[in-house]
Amino acid sequence: MRQGFRQSMAWLHTWSGLVVGWVLFAVFVTGTATYYRTEITDWMRPELRTGATFDAGRAADLGADYLKAKAPDAVGWFIGLPQPDKPVIEVHWWKDLAGPFHHALLDPATGAPTTARATHGGDFLYRFHFELNLPPLWGRWIVGICAMILLVSLVSGIITHRRIFADFFTFRRNRSHQRGWLDAHNVTGVLALPFHLMIAYTGIVTFALMYMPWGVTAAYKGDEIRFYVEAQLMPEVRAPAGKPGGLVSLAPLVAQAQGRVSETLEHVAVHNPGDAAATIVAIFEEPHGLAHLHPQIAFDGASGAELGATAIAKPATQISASFVGLHEAHFAGPALKALFFLCGVMGAATIATGLVLWTVARLPKPAERPGLGYRLVRALNVGSVAGLPVGLAAYFLANRLLPLGIEGRADLEVRVFFGAWACIAVAALLRPHLAAWREAFGLASLLFLAVPAVSALTTGHHPFDGEARFLGFDAAMLATGLLLAVAAYQAGRDRAPRRGEAAEPLPGPRPAAHRPSAALPPTALPPKRAASGAEEVRRRA
Amino acid sequence: MTPLVLTLNLTLSFAALAALALSLDRHHRDAFLTRAPRARARTLRLAGWAGILASLAVAVAFEGWNFGPVQWIGALTGAALLVVVLLSYRPRWLRPAALAALPLALVALPFALRG
Repeated sequence: MRQGFRQSMAWLHTWSGLVVGWVLFAVFVTGTATYYRTEITDWMRPELRTGATFDAGRAADLGADYLKAKAPDAVGWFIGLPQPDKPVIEVHWWKDLAGPFHHALLDPATGAPTTARATHGGDFLYRFHFELNLPPLWGRWIVGICAMILLVSLVSGIITHRRIFADFFTFRRNRSHQRGWLDAHNVTGVLALPFHLMIAYTGIVTFALMYMPWGVTAAYKGDEIRFYVEAQLMPEVRAPAGKPGGLVSLAPLVAQAQGRVSETLEHVAVHNPGDAAATIVAIFEEPHGLAHLHPQIAFDGASGAELGATAIAKPATQISASFVGLHEAHFAGPALKALFFLCGVMGAATIATGLVLWTVARLPKPAERPGLGYRLVRALNVGSVAGLPVGLAAYFLANRLLPLGIEGRADLEVRVFFGAWACIAVAALLRPHLAAWREAFGLASLLFLAVPAVSALTTGHHPFDGEARFLGFDAAMLATGLLLAVAAYQAGRDRAPRRGEAAEPLPGPRPAAHRPSAALPPTALPPKRAASGAEEVRRRA
Repeated sequence: MTPLVLTLNLTLSFAALAALALSLDRHHRDAFLTRAPRARARTLRLAGWAGILASLAVAVAFEGWNFGPVQWIGALTGAALLVVVLLSYRPRWLRPAALAALPLALVALPFALRG
């Protein structure tokens, strides 16, 4: 064990952060983008016109007609009704609860498959945020474990950083290399600390029952559905009768359900659609509030009689649903959502600066050749922090540039995303370190800046066509591009810092001998502290 | 009206956090080239915490106890980032910016009340 509590916490913070930093950076970036998931999807399907309102009952019947023809023997249908900001009927069906889950988008006017380009849109970023494009169980476990380690990292970081209040506003970018990175890490971490703690904790809570199912398993003796029903998370479901049966028209049930609940009807689910005991469930948007709870009403599929509805949830469910609601921030209006987005960006920045700080604090001596591990961390930093933006920009560009009719187009976009990201990660291993940063950021910047132009050329929608439909998205792309250009410029301007410099002011989250007079010029440092700084660097190197 | 209340929250938080920042010697020196005199530091600190509480009061009064605290913390985070950026790049601008934020809050208040 190390000498003291704070030192051991510093050690824990350093290494827990390093281990999960690369994954968490991607999780934070894609999660932050997910605040604008519908806007991204809208941009990626420019053929669809948003803003119209739809007859929910007719749309539900059109969806059911399509599914009756396509998958009469499915065990479940899920019909997403068209909304002003999402003008398609989105149907899912599955023949086995374990999947695979099939999916189609239908034109709300005709019920035929939409002619809009095939894309996963913002949903890809959303799912990547918690599944990393892996099989769902694997992805959720990996992200969950990373989130748990993030909590460890946050708490140990708070303990390590003993000058939270004195250094609250401090960002000394003109001091030494390491000082600047440490301040940037501290400032982005501390200022948005409530958000970081909230987002890590609520993210884990979202899948808490998956990570710790034993309580429910024991209390309900394996009948987990019972738990969900009693928690008012879903209405009563019935087992299939085992004999075929007809299904009533959905439109009258939709009208009946809409008469009962004032929220927007979002989905209609049909369990065991071909069975005599089919169940139709109307699922509404959550009422305005923190809690993420969807009111639901269940109907008998054969007669259309009401079977039951979810009641007001009890406090435990309300609290856990509020955590999920806080995480997703559906309740937030445009301005508050922008603040959530800013906090997410700060979270990504905290991780990125932390990763860079790890390498800066361990700079090898000028004559020394850096070790393999050190070089690997450095290259992985470039690959994840600068490679992901390249992948994202490539994903958006692929949406505009891939031919519209080709087979598997939506998956191809995703492959472009991973391909571009992987290229940068490999290039980072081959190029000199600072050049790799500069070139990757520079490329990402160019790609993002190209998105509005490419979009205007390929779709004819541009900010000056009087419609300004994608003005917000274009502005976001340009802003991201400019920000990355600044990053590329800074990386290019950075002289390679000399090793001795790292020891000059306060290196690392140094616990001992801090005094509140950090504003003194470095020459005024007591010799003891300067010496302990050098010792700290040696110990960490 | 949430955007107006958020404006109110942001301006109040910004002025409050700027006062707190200027109550610290290091930042006072950046902005005014001198250490903060004792009495002034205390006044600034008091004003800062009062502003933070006022921002909470505004958020809760307009948005209730469920959304209010979320908005309050969000506004504090955004405002704090602005203070840090100003202190780092244009420290002299902090005081005028904070002083300009207060009348802006006063302008937003009646609209928020009416909305």
